[in-house]
Amino acid sequence: MIKVNIDGQEITLEKPMTILAAAQRAGIKIPTLCYDKQLEPFGGCRLCLVEIERVPKLMASCTVNVTDGMVVRTQTEKVKKARKAQLEFLLINHPLDCPVCDKAGECDLQDLVAQYGAHEGRFLEGKRKHPESFRDPIIVRNMERCITCTRCVRMCDGVQGAFAITVTGRGNHSFVEPFTGGEYKCEYCGNCLTVCPVGAIMSKLHRHSYRPWYVEKEIKTICGFCAVGCTLIAQTRGKDIIRTMPKHGLGINDGILCVRGRFGYDYRSGEGRITTPLIRKDSGELEPASWETAIDYAARRLADIKERHGVASIGGIGSGRCTNEDNYMLQKLIRYVIGSNNMDSSARFAFAPAQKYLERMFGQGVTANLIPGIANADGVIVFGGDPTAINPILGVQCRIARRKGAKVIVIGAPAGLKGFVDYKLEPVVGCEEVVLRAIVKGVVDKKGLSGENAYIENKIKKLMSPDDETIERVGVAVADIAKAVDNILKMKSPVVVIGPEAVHTSSASLNLFLLGVINYVLNGRIFLLSEKANYQGLLDMGCAPDVVPGGRPIELDIIEHKFQDLLGSKTPEEHGMNLYEMIDAAKNGKLKALYVMGDNPLFNYPDREHIEDAFNKIDFLIVQDISLNDTVKMADVVFPANSWLEKDGTFINLGRSLQRLRKALSMDGCWDDWKIVAEVAKKLGMKKSYESSKDVWEEIRKVSPLYRDVDYVGLDEQALTWPYMGEPIRGLEGDFKVEGLEQVLGNVAKGSDGFMGLTNPVLMLERPLFHSGSMSGMSKALLSIYGAPYFKISKTLALRYGFKEGDKVRVIMEKGEIDASAQIDVNMQDGVVYLSNIFEGVGYMGVVGYKVDAVVGSLVITNNNIVDIVRVED
Amino acid sequence: MENNNVKTIRDFIEREKKSYASIESTVIPALHEAEGVYGWISPEAIEDISNYTGVSKAKIKGTATFYAMYKNKPMGRHLIQLCTNVVCMVMGSESLLSLLNERYELEPGGMTSDGRFSLVIMECIGACGTAPAMLVDADYYDNLNEKNIFEILDKYQ
Repeated sequence: MIKVNIDGQEITLEKPMTILAAAQRAGIKIPTLCYDKQLEPFGGCRLCLVEIERVPKLMASCTVNVTDGMVVRTQTEKVKKARKAQLEFLLINHPLDCPVCDKAGECDLQDLVAQYGAHEGRFLEGKRKHPESFRDPIIVRNMERCITCTRCVRMCDGVQGAFAITVTGRGNHSFVEPFTGGEYKCEYCGNCLTVCPVGAIMSKLHRHSYRPWYVEKEIKTICGFCAVGCTLIAQTRGKDIIRTMPKHGLGINDGILCVRGRFGYDYRSGEGRITTPLIRKDSGELEPASWETAIDYAARRLADIKERHGVASIGGIGSGRCTNEDNYMLQKLIRYVIGSNNMDSSARFAFAPAQKYLERMFGQGVTANLIPGIANADGVIVFGGDPTAINPILGVQCRIARRKGAKVIVIGAPAGLKGFVDYKLEPVVGCEEVVLRAIVKGVVDKKGLSGENAYIENKIKKLMSPDDETIERVGVAVADIAKAVDNILKMKSPVVVIGPEAVHTSSASLNLFLLGVINYVLNGRIFLLSEKANYQGLLDMGCAPDVVPGGRPIELDIIEHKFQDLLGSKTPEEHGMNLYEMIDAAKNGKLKALYVMGDNPLFNYPDREHIEDAFNKIDFLIVQDISLNDTVKMADVVFPANSWLEKDGTFINLGRSLQRLRKALSMDGCWDDWKIVAEVAKKLGMKKSYESSKDVWEEIRKVSPLYRDVDYVGLDEQALTWPYMGEPIRGLEGDFKVEGLEQVLGNVAKGSDGFMGLTNPVLMLERPLFHSGSMSGMSKALLSIYGAPYFKISKTLALRYGFKEGDKVRVIMEKGEIDASAQIDVNMQDGVVYLSNIFEGVGYMGVVGYKVDAVVGSLVITNNNIVDIVRVED
Repeated sequence: MENNNVKTIRDFIEREKKSYASIESTVIPALHEAEGVYGWISPEAIEDISNYTGVSKAKIKGTATFYAMYKNKPMGRHLIQLCTNVVCMVMGSESLLSLLNERYELEPGGMTSDGRFSLVIMECIGACGTAPAMLVDADYYDNLNEKNIFEILDKYQ
């Protein structure tokens, strides 16, 4: 027990803490500038100075810990005078340009000067001059205003881990600058501008467009750009969104955001947004129509096709961008109103099959883990993707874990975790499995097996390890594998992060099994990276051919009475088609009508020619989206939908936390997705009507016992993690298959030849930090950072094909050609070229083929060998 | 494809890091080395040091700019450091400065266009008895006047 006296108040503390923290706990306010709860204490601004009895000098309360019997005074004349003097010093150089400073009104310095004085400075010297820097696309630096509190630098180094900015110069001349001096060229998380107490680092997006007191509404909602599910506060005025902010202590992200969440909000007013329903007329053109007409038409055609071709000819595609309510409603339309199980989504490519496979190994709910918990893990193992780009805040958690002493082991290119790993385990692209095998074999041999699960252990016993020669051949040092094994064995609560690339290969089941084994042997936690915000939710809502809402199998008869009573019909018995089957069926002319909600299959699915062919044969295509994309252009009926900033509802993140989305503002002409679907369903005979997304959720609660006790009011208070106080139904199912387990991988010549530069490189999908699919491509802010497609290529490869950085090149593939500029990356392997899938017309997916993995059911990219690369003239 | 500059810096860091408890500590000596190799602390120099120490580029830049005696901008082949403190000033260093400006277009803190000289004003070098005085690179010269200063500088090409 520590007893302290602060301002005459006796405070008893259990644990040692700083004087500032103790005072805050007792409700005593001490002014601060450089202090921020999220950051390491610094003690630089000297505003939190306090008087401590028997200590001759004033002390900075943010860095001094309390001791038993300490007597502290925070409001004496001496202290006040010191604070005033300190502020006077800061105002020597800080310009008093508050009338044109966006920070005015929420500026810490302004507030403190108002409170403590120094209204008149005694300094006659001129202030230092430092021209405002506009050389960055979205961040404006005004270093005249900088008071070098270093909050931004501590945020960048200590939390975000980007190490992009620094204090340059000394004393009076010091200010904050990125390495280049002009452009940041960093991760653009913008966390530096949240913590800046003055107007030194500001966002360019809303520059001089508002004052903090103009904000009319603040809405707490969930970011829809990826599956971390960060809580953000959207500040609005009228029909405009002013900015989005994180808040310390709120949500998974706890005061930080990534570039998409912070700057991407202007996507909603971006180019191509559709705001009126469209119908394809006889002339072949899409023409505006009223909601009434469009809905009527859609329902009539669906009914007609159902009558003529049967229910099996109708399918639906749900969306990871849409809420649970939206997806629930779509599957209700397809499954219970029309009567078909043809219901799937692009989660089928990686997230859904990977999760299903892992659940068969470990039981349902294996991926239900808390993302903030990663920071407390003592080990992080990453495979198959860069968490700092796909799910940036999860990536930041991995970095924080490392800073707290965890070992981070990345198999594959470390990308954003470069500098957080101790040794390189970067095999030739396509041969990651060799390294994973060697590591898992090493770990299992040393750790032994517990006998807990015979299915898993029988398989482990059959596992063959590659020999040293093979390991060296794929480009990894055997010594590094031994180090990795040692480090993994020391981990007590490791986190296994599995990226989509783990299942986009023909060794999908082996990769998942091996990662599962690490998890099994060490009792770890699994996180499945997911690009789209609500892949988990759409699976849980039954947007898959084999499950009904709540994640229960369609064959479960005991609930059918309930469904009959509640939804007006039983679950159709006939098995539905999954996404791949639906596309094939469309091509064969068996699928006549398709309802696509919030997805762009033509652009986002591989093999453009094949997909286009299939979609051309569909008689009736309904597309519901926010922008005029390639699929919309092919549709017969188009419904303009609200996007995530414009709707109420719930999302389930990749760690299976259920969170509440709130409508920040509305978009004229657009409807919520669930409402559009419900209106179509009503015309097709659905009895029930819904007023709001809350009514839909109430129905979901009745349908699945999993959500029985979860209502919107409760979700307002806090997010809930699976099983949400409810009852999960499925347990372990039994044995599972692993492909290629017993094979000794002595023969990995294919990959290593690529490495030596003997064969042609492969084209791989870039998943950049600055974009998540095509939605972010509507944001002007994100486009100003990453605005045009490029090929990322190694220096050696560029030399071999004879072009330079910035040259326009054409990559020729078996399935087409693609033009873009070349960007040379010195950290890259020679055997690969990266291309993103963001910009229409220049997408990665269009020029590669696919097949379906036989065991896992994930999408395996094929035909991605580059035939040739040639330079083209502009 | 590693050039010699990079190799020198890498070898230096590999050698030096054994003498320190943490690799961060090699940054300051490595900056000195890089200054010798590149002539100043260029962005490339910082990148090299960052690559081999793992310390971020921004942090190294912060360190380099903190210390006044690192050459944070390109320097000429020879560095003239002329004293302008009281005694040297009285003895005519001001006029020497204007002569340098006339002949070489050399401003204090600047560099000649051919990259031959850089000029820095320095504080007292303790040669008040024989003022005015200057240093050229590491060589010391005193009793300067309008004639001999150019004779001296002609030796440095």
